[in-house]
Amino acid sequence: MRAPAVGIQHVTRPLTRFRKRPDAAIVLGTILVFLVFGAVDPESWFQFFTMINITRYAAILGLLAIGQTIVILSREIDLSVGSVYGIVAIAFIASEPTLGVPLSLLAALMLAAAIGLLNALLVLRGGISSMIATLGALFFYRGIIYVTTGGTVMRFSQGARAHWLTQAFGGQWLRLDNAFLWFMLIAVLASLVLYHSRFGNHLLAVGGDETTALARGVTVVRTKTIAFVACSLLAGLSGIVTIAQNPQTHVTLGMQLELESIAAAVIGGTQLGGGRGTVLGSVLGTFFLTAVRSEMITLGAPPSWYTAFVGIALLLGATINTVMARRSGA
Amino acid sequence: METERAPLISLRNVNLWYGTVQALRDVSVDFYQGELVGLVGDNGAGKTSLVNIISGIVAPTSGEVYLDGQRITSFHPKLAIDLGVETTQQSVGLCDNLSIARNYFLGREPVRRIAGIPFIDLGKMRKEGRKAITAFGLRESVDVDGEVALLSGGERQAFKIARAVYFRSRILIMDEPTNNLSVRERERVNDLAVQLKDQSLLVIYITHDIFQIHRIADRFIILENGAKVADVPRNLMSAEDLERIIREGVGNDAGSPRSG
Amino acid sequence: MRVSLARFVLKRPETSAVVVTAILVTFLTITTGGTWLSFANLQSVSRITAVLAIMAFGEALVISTGEVDVSVGSVFAMGALIFIGVGRTVNLGVALLLALGGGLLIGLLNGAVVAFFRVPSLIVTLGTLFLFRGIAYGVTEGFYFGASDEVRSRLIFNVMGGANLGGVNVAVLWALVALLVLHVVMFYMPMGNRILAVGGNAASAYSRGVNVARVRLIVFALSGLLAAFAGMLDAASIGYVDGSFGELMELEAIAAAVLGGCSLVGGRCSLLGTLLGAFLLRAVGSYLVILGIQPQWFILLLGVIVVLASLSDRVLTKLLFRLQQR
Repeated sequence: MRAPAVGIQHVTRPLTRFRKRPDAAIVLGTILVFLVFGAVDPESWFQFFTMINITRYAAILGLLAIGQTIVILSREIDLSVGSVYGIVAIAFIASEPTLGVPLSLLAALMLAAAIGLLNALLVLRGGISSMIATLGALFFYRGIIYVTTGGTVMRFSQGARAHWLTQAFGGQWLRLDNAFLWFMLIAVLASLVLYHSRFGNHLLAVGGDETTALARGVTVVRTKTIAFVACSLLAGLSGIVTIAQNPQTHVTLGMQLELESIAAAVIGGTQLGGGRGTVLGSVLGTFFLTAVRSEMITLGAPPSWYTAFVGIALLLGATINTVMARRSGA
Repeated sequence: METERAPLISLRNVNLWYGTVQALRDVSVDFYQGELVGLVGDNGAGKTSLVNIISGIVAPTSGEVYLDGQRITSFHPKLAIDLGVETTQQSVGLCDNLSIARNYFLGREPVRRIAGIPFIDLGKMRKEGRKAITAFGLRESVDVDGEVALLSGGERQAFKIARAVYFRSRILIMDEPTNNLSVRERERVNDLAVQLKDQSLLVIYITHDIFQIHRIADRFIILENGAKVADVPRNLMSAEDLERIIREGVGNDAGSPRSG
Repeated sequence: MRVSLARFVLKRPETSAVVVTAILVTFLTITTGGTWLSFANLQSVSRITAVLAIMAFGEALVISTGEVDVSVGSVFAMGALIFIGVGRTVNLGVALLLALGGGLLIGLLNGAVVAFFRVPSLIVTLGTLFLFRGIAYGVTEGFYFGASDEVRSRLIFNVMGGANLGGVNVAVLWALVALLVLHVVMFYMPMGNRILAVGGNAASAYSRGVNVARVRLIVFALSGLLAAFAGMLDAASIGYVDGSFGELMELEAIAAAVLGGCSLVGGRCSLLGTLLGAFLLRAVGSYLVILGIQPQWFILLLGVIVVLASLSDRVLTKLLFRLQQR
């Protein structure tokens, strides 16, 4: 191609660069959704309560989506996050009377890490696909939730609710949920780790081309293990902020979140083939889904419509992503 | 008098692009019945791209392909096989999970219709598979119902060649057939290639091993950066010259950016 | 001779399923003091096995090509809802066609996206799993569709799962027919050879002229069709259907296929094994019921079974290869 006129070159370059970002579509999509919902429903959409509702659910889903993104970037998948979210939340609330808030929090997070480690072990040492291993885990931990809670509802005591550590996860600061602040903090941290650390580089290399990464001295097993553990920990953290905010359990806690987290990552531009994707994309994917959910609730649609919508979003997002990736010759 | 004959396959000004990469640049070449052609060149020179077009795996971006003087307009492996083009490739062609008999006929299974329903003719598949095992020098112990995963590298090549012969192919493309083979197995495969040529098949033989191909081929086509840089009969070029051209290139402009 | 017998036995993909089933049946019978082997229990186990097996056959075909279909639980519900929903309001014949057609269409949708766009099948079918589960809950609005006595007395309804013949539900017969037909297709017809070839090595199959995309499309279409058919049979024998119908069954179908000796990476398939796998799962389920154990334990157990089955699948494949190399 001959060099275009200099003036045009300056204008198109940032635009082309933006277009080539994997999260370009979701950036525009999320802005569009917020504008459209704002235009359709101006009096209630930009109200404080709507926004608080959105940020509250976005924090819960977003933490899971960031973890899922890390695992997908390493070319694996974690279907167990919904159950991990539930079981960690329940472990936190169930162990509090005996251990106290700080220790039970620690125990719950250790449980999350252990589950991630077991997933990694099954996949990397056992040699079964992450899909099957984590599908099994999804049902196993859900089964444990059913069997141990037996449908009973557990609550925090007043003391436990007021504990500063519970408040650190479930309270508010400057009228914003602490959960949301955690979500933002972790999004920034995850971005930094992914794009400005050795581990991040290894993760993207492993997801992009495992044999090459191996040949360059990247320890595939360790990198993927960290990805699984990080994903489980984030799922657990999400469960903990949920329970700190709204301290009661039910057996269906976290059901369907595996689907939503994958959908958020995929419509955020994360490539299922691994190695390509951004944390920002998944965060925006989370806002996108959460905005639609909130609007559906406002319009009085039954929750099943949201389930169907997430299914379609995943299907379309994955198809468009795959086709676009092939177009660009990746 | 060679030029009097009509070519069996003829490529005219063929270009092939993979996305933004040009794999073949304006290649025109003829292949004739009953010759063994060595297709040589460095890695990435376009050897496999060229044969992928002939075996229907990819369609050229532009240019024309003729078989028996007929213009080929659609490209699909099935079509190529039906037209008598067989390819033996290093890595593909055999499904390790299937038996020798089932692999032998994969994609063209013989059927016996019972009440109009096509049942595969396992008896025929076994019989022909067994024939191939003995005729093409596979070990006596090889079982026609055993998985092909158990065959040695040379046996795999011999088996693919046997399959090509069975389906009365007129053109056999051998893509690096002797990689990872023992010396003895390599001799065996090369003998088979010459035998097939003597049975008036067209054999297109891709290899890195210049000295090996120089002993058996009638003609060499050298590719460089996707372009044809030489097309010479064996008696006009020594193996040393051939190797030097590939190593040093001919210094044509094929490597520089093209216009238009 | 001993080696060749061992070789033959190990080579059969369903070997481990047969052995495990035999041990399990003995165990279940003894520990329940014979109750498990009672006619009433066998009657119910055979019916629920048949329903699961029909769905699992479709899953086995998909798994044989190296893909997976997790949407079958929701397709099962769609088949059942359409059959009962349309059957009680419009006409059973129309309902039958719509239910099967609907399953086929969902299967074609899954298959088309997988085959032509090469999107990972897990993601595609996860999307349709939730899409059609959402629709199932949406159309039932928390209630259930029941078949009236008049509908239940109709011939189509009885043939499609409503009737018992000699104490055995017709679903059992349908499962045996499906087993026979699919077994012949898989191992004695060109299509089966190509399905296994695509699962074993898609590039090689393509180079031999096999239309790989069409093979993928066909297995997904069959999986959708069979799942809807199974849902219909189950709904007709129970007489009503709600939005949660068939939930978790996708995992059972995958487990049945893997237990039965289908390799998750593709290329190895046994439909007889899949039937045994379905039986195994449903036998354990009924055992828990007889012992009066919370049914939720089954979910937990299912997770363990899936993981263990795929672990043993890996071990078995390695062992087989080593044995053959001797």
